Amino acid sequence: MSPIIRFDHVSVAADKKMILSDISFALFPGEKAVLCGKSGAGKSSVLRTLLGLQAIRLGTVYFQDIPLTPSSVQGIRSCAAYIGQEPVLGAETVREALLLPFQFKTHRGHRPTEAQLIEVLQRLQLPADILKQESRRISGGEKQRIALARGLLLGKKLYLLDEVTSALDAESKQAVFDVFSDPRMTVLSIAHDADWLQRCDIVFELEAGRLIQEKRHGNT
Amino acid sequence: METLDIALSKMALLYGLCLLPGTLLWLVGLRLSKDIAIGILRMSIQLALVGIYLKILFNLNHPGLNGLWILIMLLVADFSILQRAGLKARYFMLATFSAIAFSILFSTAYLVVLVIQPPLYYDARYIVPLAGMILGNCLQGNVIALERFYSSLRKNENEYMTFLMLGATRWEAVRPYYRDAIKAAINPTIASMATMGLVSLPGMMTGQILGGSEPWLAVKYQIAIMICIFTSTTLAALINLKLSLNIAFNAFDVLRDEVIKKS
Repeated sequence: MSPIIRFDHVSVAADKKMILSDISFALFPGEKAVLCGKSGAGKSSVLRTLLGLQAIRLGTVYFQDIPLTPSSVQGIRSCAAYIGQEPVLGAETVREALLLPFQFKTHRGHRPTEAQLIEVLQRLQLPADILKQESRRISGGEKQRIALARGLLLGKKLYLLDEVTSALDAESKQAVFDVFSDPRMTVLSIAHDADWLQRCDIVFELEAGRLIQEKRHGNT
Repeated sequence: METLDIALSKMALLYGLCLLPGTLLWLVGLRLSKDIAIGILRMSIQLALVGIYLKILFNLNHPGLNGLWILIMLLVADFSILQRAGLKARYFMLATFSAIAFSILFSTAYLVVLVIQPPLYYDARYIVPLAGMILGNCLQGNVIALERFYSSLRKNENEYMTFLMLGATRWEAVRPYYRDAIKAAINPTIASMATMGLVSLPGMMTGQILGGSEPWLAVKYQIAIMICIFTSTTLAALINLKLSLNIAFNAFDVLRDEVIKKS
């Protein structure tokens, strides 16, 4: 089986400063990984590089064995769901936010039914009447789960999560854990939460833009 | 009916009028004397030079010279638009020039060749002031379009990236900002057309009436120029923004920082 994501000696610079140096790792389908490290260690840069938002100076990033290039980046972006600490919903109401991607040519014709919307909300411990609410009035934790719900509706298999459990209560956090226990889902996350770290298969530790440790299933 | 001349002594009296707003501004604590003086001086020198140029231009009435004058106006407008929109000229000058040149030449030619039909199509007395008026308004519209588009894109960078991540193409992802910017660019012209004659008498019409034209003729020219301003502003803003998209983003659809001036 080939990896879904592979960083091959990747170095990234921004404003003439190296923000990632010689990073190499691989993530296989279904694996759940977490990036750890102090602020400024390069965790977010790994996710941004994977999405084509940072110019690669050296090395290559592969997504399903295809090198990241201007022509392949659209494919990677449409396969991955990125959910940040304060996700942007990009629409007035929650319903519009959930249906937003289905206005784009790639997803047109796959608009979910009302029942599918409610089912996905329930999986994430969200009430059905949240659909009518204004996006700007819901809490940070709810926004994260709506962004997650949107990824689920799009059938995404790769999730890039930046501190998604930080704003959640224990019950909502459990709901998110349950969603990602699906073996078909691959996760590359940034987290400091001890529960989250325990549940991940791989822990990548970063320091000053370098990958200093990789722990897989308890092995260093 | 002849227009009454303003003697030099009376012009001095006119400049004296500026002392009233200048003093009032000074009294409310706004120290703008230097800016006001520079503004009035520049206006006077620039208009005096234009007066001399136009006199020569009208006397010679040579198609090449008239064309050259319009080319100079377009180039000055090109740099002025980019300067005021906060974009670097070395990246966008060709795109902006193409957009304004096409829209100005199209609407001026439409007005002169199809509507007014003077004996000489290249007559400086028609094409120079008409192209100038259309260009002046088009310039404002393009500054607003570019400035609004790129500032809202930078402000909403996360939202733009979210759209890309949800499967939008670059064009689909920028479309909300594109529409807002175009709307902002043409709204002043639409509002101006809607209130024209009620709120103010437009400059060109006033000028023609003072110059001795019949009010009805002045009205027809004013309508003609407003329609051309609206057409050229819309065309130029649409084309200019669209062309700029190919320059402002890198191959990964990320906005290039280096094309925008640091404020």
